[in-house]
Amino acid sequence: MAKTKLEEINRNIYDIKNKDEYDFKIKKGLTKEIIEEISKQKNDPDWMREFRLKALDVYNKLELPTWGPDISELNMDEIATYVRPKTGLSNSWEDVPEDIKSTFDKLGIPEAEKKSLAGVGAQYDSEVVYHSMKEDLIKQGVVYTDMETAVREYPDLVRDHFMKCVPVNDHKFVALHGAVWSGGSFVYVPKGVKVDIPLQSYFRLNSPESGQFEHTLIIVDEGASLHFIEGCSAPKYNKVNLHAGCVELYVKDNAYLRYSTIENWSKNMLNLNTKKAIVGKNAQVDWVTGSFGSKISMLYPMSILNGEGAKTEYTGISFAGKGQNLDNGFKVVHNAENTSSLVNAKSISKNGGKCTYRSLVRINEKAKNSKSSVSCESLMLDDISISDTIPVNDIRTDEVEFSHEAKIGKISDKTIFYLMSRGLSEEDAKAMIVRGFAYPISKELPVEYAVEMNNLINLELDGAIG
Amino acid sequence: MLLEINDLCVNAEDKEILKGINLKINKGEIHVIMGPNGSGKTTTANAILNNPAYTKIGGNIIFDGQDITNEKTDEIARKGVFMSFQLPEEIPGVSVTNFLKYAKNKVTGEPVKIFSFKEELKKYMEELNMNPKYMERSLNVGFSGGEKKKNEILQMLVLNPKLAILDETDSGLDVDAIKTVSKGIEMFKNENNAVLIITHNTKILHSLKVDYVHVLVNGKIVKTGTQELAKEIEENGYSKYKN
Amino acid sequence: MELLKLNETPVRTSRNFNINNIKLENISIPQEINNFNNMQVYGDESKVIIDNQNTKLNLTYGLGDFFTNQVSNNANKKIKIVIDKKLNKEIEIDFKFDKENNDLIDNIEIVAEEQAKGTVILKYVTEKNIQAFHNGVIRLLAKKNSKVNIIVANLMNESSNNFMSIENKVEDESKVNYTIVDFGGKNSITNYFSDLEGELSDNKLSTIYLGKDNQLFDLNYIGELRGKKSNIDIEVQGALKDNAKKHFKGTIDFKKGCKKATGNENEACMLLSDTAKSLALPMLLCSEEDVEGNHSSSAGKVGEKELFYIMSRGFELKEAMKLMVRAKFNKILDNIKNEDLKNEILDSIDKILD
Repeated sequence: MAKTKLEEINRNIYDIKNKDEYDFKIKKGLTKEIIEEISKQKNDPDWMREFRLKALDVYNKLELPTWGPDISELNMDEIATYVRPKTGLSNSWEDVPEDIKSTFDKLGIPEAEKKSLAGVGAQYDSEVVYHSMKEDLIKQGVVYTDMETAVREYPDLVRDHFMKCVPVNDHKFVALHGAVWSGGSFVYVPKGVKVDIPLQSYFRLNSPESGQFEHTLIIVDEGASLHFIEGCSAPKYNKVNLHAGCVELYVKDNAYLRYSTIENWSKNMLNLNTKKAIVGKNAQVDWVTGSFGSKISMLYPMSILNGEGAKTEYTGISFAGKGQNLDNGFKVVHNAENTSSLVNAKSISKNGGKCTYRSLVRINEKAKNSKSSVSCESLMLDDISISDTIPVNDIRTDEVEFSHEAKIGKISDKTIFYLMSRGLSEEDAKAMIVRGFAYPISKELPVEYAVEMNNLINLELDGAIG
Repeated sequence: MLLEINDLCVNAEDKEILKGINLKINKGEIHVIMGPNGSGKTTTANAILNNPAYTKIGGNIIFDGQDITNEKTDEIARKGVFMSFQLPEEIPGVSVTNFLKYAKNKVTGEPVKIFSFKEELKKYMEELNMNPKYMERSLNVGFSGGEKKKNEILQMLVLNPKLAILDETDSGLDVDAIKTVSKGIEMFKNENNAVLIITHNTKILHSLKVDYVHVLVNGKIVKTGTQELAKEIEENGYSKYKN
Repeated sequence: MELLKLNETPVRTSRNFNINNIKLENISIPQEINNFNNMQVYGDESKVIIDNQNTKLNLTYGLGDFFTNQVSNNANKKIKIVIDKKLNKEIEIDFKFDKENNDLIDNIEIVAEEQAKGTVILKYVTEKNIQAFHNGVIRLLAKKNSKVNIIVANLMNESSNNFMSIENKVEDESKVNYTIVDFGGKNSITNYFSDLEGELSDNKLSTIYLGKDNQLFDLNYIGELRGKKSNIDIEVQGALKDNAKKHFKGTIDFKKGCKKATGNENEACMLLSDTAKSLALPMLLCSEEDVEGNHSSSAGKVGEKELFYIMSRGFELKEAMKLMVRAKFNKILDNIKNEDLKNEILDSIDKILD
């Protein structure tokens, strides 16, 4: 009991529940009527309403995955797919209602905005409540807004790209997303514009027995560059919440995009998110992912290297504790010559948690002279946890350099003894080794987030050792 | 008296290794334990720091007036015992600077001022002919054998223990590196601390003056003498003591 | 039978990755099984029982119900080999497919008694143009402290079909060395399962495969570590030319209780043409803390620098390629002490790469 309590105290900033107050909460379940009601509430243009209904059809036809974690406890009849907060969208924190603002304050979002971000979007339940970006970026033509505004104001751009990268029939939860999506961010970086300071969107799900289905669409035009950060959290409830967001990234020729995520959903969340990037000639997309929260996570960001010389890197860590089943990984498809991919995946399992690294590397016939190098490392912190590595390597032509390496094991007693001989307690020694293990990922994050990640690791380890 | 080992018996993986060791070390002294491979030298060092991989079945260890026989390793370290490892562990993702800063804080119990600490580190590294770039590299990762050993000496200087145990720190080093290690020991040594060198060869004794030499054979100290004893062993080997 | 689905992996992954099982179309499966007479036993014949009664199979994995049942119920060769302390010569059984002996359904049981040591060679060859069908099961029980070497050589032609299920039970302190030479078959589908239940039990599995034309290899290797300090090493070296295809599924599964167990898996595929295809799923599953598991997998062309070096010494391209492939295979071929067999395998390599 004492342990659980400790964990709850430590998680407090993430766990603050606001009253379930809203302007509108759709009734639970998933029917044509409900979808039409969401569409009406959101003032969709016709094409979007039709899109949603078509997606619902696809959803009803597709089956649940026959692999991975058991998600049978998810009952869509018990989930409210749309919860509109009791406020509209503002571009000043002053206008955001006090309890919502105070939540984001505690998460450090307005603070980070001042210090190290070029723009911030904040979503609360199903709608974005705050969006703002620095003046000079607006002048350079950069667009950073909530997805609904984008549908209205950039209809052509949105229609050309919306769910083209991730088609609705990809899998069942993408179809669900297509039917009920709400909120999320839209970014357009014009040709040649380099955005030096990151933009960040933060997603907070407060309402119990509900889902968050934000849609993030980012277009980095030729020769442009961007660093985008996504954060997410929710307070813990007894029944499952669902997150089925969708991220579509278009990285055009010679462009660069780094997409960083610190995911810290509460441990009643099913995180069934889909992220994909289409990468043009000599362009590059880098994914940096820290996955700490959720009860079940199935998340496999994907890079499709369509342009000659396209590159991608994936750097990710998963940390599963008690009751968590984190099934994460990466997919890459090499479709053009001279493309390259580099994967560095790590996982830590403790206290009965389960981490799975699941992946695909596919090098197609046309991808001559491509390179791919994958490294996976898994750390087991006790003997009641589980760690699986399930990588598929699909090599369809000969002019390639492909290598894959994976390791699994525990922290060696010798290493612990070495550190203890320098005066560190056993707990300190383990924490130091684990932080070192996670360092290749934390060093890729902006410093505030690296600190947050280290705090999360300490917090998780307290539970394991205490 | 700084260290007193009484009738210490130690097993490693159910095998009897130390069969009643007695040793006394006073402040201001340098001791050497010599012995052939498998005689129990490394076990002695590990037993003093109470490595859980070794089991004590008899005897005790008194350090600075306190019984440390069953203390946890980190507490022994905080009381002022340091061990230079024969095979230092690699810790990816933890830089030499951060590690030492953290350890120094644990050992002294005082906050470490980063600027003066880095200066101190730089000074020691110069003395030990270490590339200052190593400060930011992961601890021991990708270090050569010699660099690892120098890094152990660096840690000794920074943590400034009362007793430094050097387990085969000289083995596998070339002449220049051994001189550097000796230099480190001389920098460290004063009348308030002590050094225990554990080695199977006598090379390091060419560049270092020691007070006592103990010969360890088959889990027991069979002879104690002065630097002269080391010379004798260098000439005649251990065979005389083996039976 | 039109579409056969077989050789399921122990853990499924996304269906889109096309590796959870293998689907075969239009495999002609013999309905009536005639006798198979072209079999030769060499070595200590007294240890080979030709009419084994213990034929009911209860495989943990196997290729699938159809294939297991066929061996269980309709085998035309039921053989038991006993390795005891008196065995002094290696045992070799050669199966030769010809016009009269077209279909082989063999059920082979090998028992290594406590403390015993021995080598068993099983060789499958086909006469030139026939279309043979082979479906076999090899079960091994390695009792305490035994040491067993098993070599399975599939040197069948490329119009035949080869199906094999292998299952080992490895007891305390016993050591099993398995070497598989997988060259033949239009389709060559193998399931290998090793249960390392014994403390300090050890299994080394080494495979070479070599494919040309439209050959397909589907290798599903599973090692379960249960015993304390148990160990498995899986080494797979292969080369593919033309449109040949290989699926490698290798699983090392650390089960709860296998403290201080170790597992290593290394799989390398040389692609000798731009239409050859290598699909690999090297899995590590772990539910025990104090273990060490490693796997590595690689695919690509023969190194151009090495090739250039060899050619600069006067070898023509084809010869240089052969040399490179042989070099990769050599370490595994060294497991085979029987020189005749080794030469036969080397000849096959030459022929396939011509």
